[in-house]
Amino acid sequence: MVQREAWLAAVLGVAALVNLIPFLYQVGLSLAPPERIFASPWPFAGFTLENYQYVLEKLPFGRYVWNTLVFALGVSLGHLLLSLLAAYAFVRYRFPLQETLFALFLISLMVPFVVTYLPGYLLVAQLGLLNTFPGLILPMLTAGYGVFLLRQHFRHFPREVLEAALVDGADGLTLLFRVLAPASLATLVALFLIALIGAWNQFVWPGLVANRPEMYVLTVAVQRFAGGEGGSAWGPLMAASVLATLPAFLLFLLFRRAVIKTFMEGGIRG
Amino acid sequence: MLGPYLFLAPALFFLLLFVYWPLFYNAWLSLHEWNLVSPERRFVGLANFVALLQDPGFHLLLWQSAVYVGLGILGNFALPLLLALATLALSPRLQDLFQTLFFLPTIAAASVASLVWLYLYLPAVGPLAQSLRGLGLDPPNFLGSPAWALPAVSLVANWKYLGFHYLVALAGIKALPQEVVEAARVDGAEGWPLLRRILLPLLAPTLVFLFLSAVTSALDYAFIPIDVMTQGGPFGTTSNLMYGTYLEGFRFFRAGMAAAQAILLVGIFAAFVLWQYRLLSRRDGYGAA
Repeated sequence: MVQREAWLAAVLGVAALVNLIPFLYQVGLSLAPPERIFASPWPFAGFTLENYQYVLEKLPFGRYVWNTLVFALGVSLGHLLLSLLAAYAFVRYRFPLQETLFALFLISLMVPFVVTYLPGYLLVAQLGLLNTFPGLILPMLTAGYGVFLLRQHFRHFPREVLEAALVDGADGLTLLFRVLAPASLATLVALFLIALIGAWNQFVWPGLVANRPEMYVLTVAVQRFAGGEGGSAWGPLMAASVLATLPAFLLFLLFRRAVIKTFMEGGIRG
Repeated sequence: MLGPYLFLAPALFFLLLFVYWPLFYNAWLSLHEWNLVSPERRFVGLANFVALLQDPGFHLLLWQSAVYVGLGILGNFALPLLLALATLALSPRLQDLFQTLFFLPTIAAASVASLVWLYLYLPAVGPLAQSLRGLGLDPPNFLGSPAWALPAVSLVANWKYLGFHYLVALAGIKALPQEVVEAARVDGAEGWPLLRRILLPLLAPTLVFLFLSAVTSALDYAFIPIDVMTQGGPFGTTSNLMYGTYLEGFRFFRAGMAAAQAILLVGIFAAFVLWQYRLLSRRDGYGAA
């Protein structure tokens, strides 16, 4: 039995390592001097910080980080607030069309983005919101995932506590923000982080509606750099990509237990 | 009595404006010919659909989509399931470690990760090519050859989301009623019979969900890797229904054709999901899943 476990652990360990190889190259290349990049098939060849220095001097990274932060926070906070209110409505009340309305949220999760992006883009263009934060953020505020997840979560909230609060005269927003939300803090934080990381990594939509350099988010900026002068400069390109990826990774590692648990509960991709 | 609607209104507003209105607008566009800029949208009836269904290029997109889905089933259904089963035999501490390690690629931005893979796949000088040559093999030009490009792109897509499906599989297996499993063990069931007679039927809802999500997200997962690594090439061999739809609209400015293609895409997926759902609800007791 113990031997079998050791075998399984070894096999999984190798699989996990293979799974992480691209990250080893990403970091390795970002630290490699230019002449060593193709010298060997191994990820770690020498050590220098000049690639980071180069991209930080060449690219307005502060601007990109700011754009990404505003975009990602706008989307994740908006998603959290909208889904909190909607999920609460579904759990607290019984009302006509309830099931149909919930189905609308659920089905929205299965609508591929290529179907909605073209009309969405035209709408944003018509409103004059191309290359603005509202144009970036608002169309991303379709909160199907959060509504589904929080409704699941709220349903398991002890009924007696809810009823006691109702007897005490707490209802509506008070019940939501004084009783339900504080008691569900871990899930709310996890949902916020999942939405934040998801938005941080968004590429297609920001690439479409924010295509002026001063409005680039990090993913788009790295891509445009790769398509231009960074195309063959793998060291600087990987340095830029590490900088773009790091915040999401750190957030995840800090809160990994809550995030993983919520992903497991939700079972639907964000 | 207005209460619930007030709470729902904000989320519903964005949902209707940015999902359902585009869906309807899309349906309307599919009956028109329009280049996105001209003020005139010419009504053409079902001509876009007829043209698509007769177009060999579209048939190729269908076929390549099916290949992406097939590879997605291997990479995002079979593999994560095996990994999850193996993981559950380990101590809780190791389980925790592997969950984190396998999940990491899901946290990375697909576009950025695809750039790293672009390097790994570089012909001749890339690490994969160098390693294969070191083993005495002749490395192909992974992203440049029509035979290799689709599997190479699909591998990136599957790698990126393996961790998510692995977590779903783990969660499903962990949620099995342990008493039932133990009772079966006490009765002498183990190995293959235990897996087939007890575990698999109990796992059916998880398996179906896992399978459905692997199938329905395969094209979605491949979108960014395609866009970053090949833009559908070489010779269109890495494109699929989803990427093709995007190209029609945003690259070739044929809004009507793009809309018609999008509708066919949604129709195919909806039919598939409904079919699975009916299969599932015919099995006693699992209909609610």
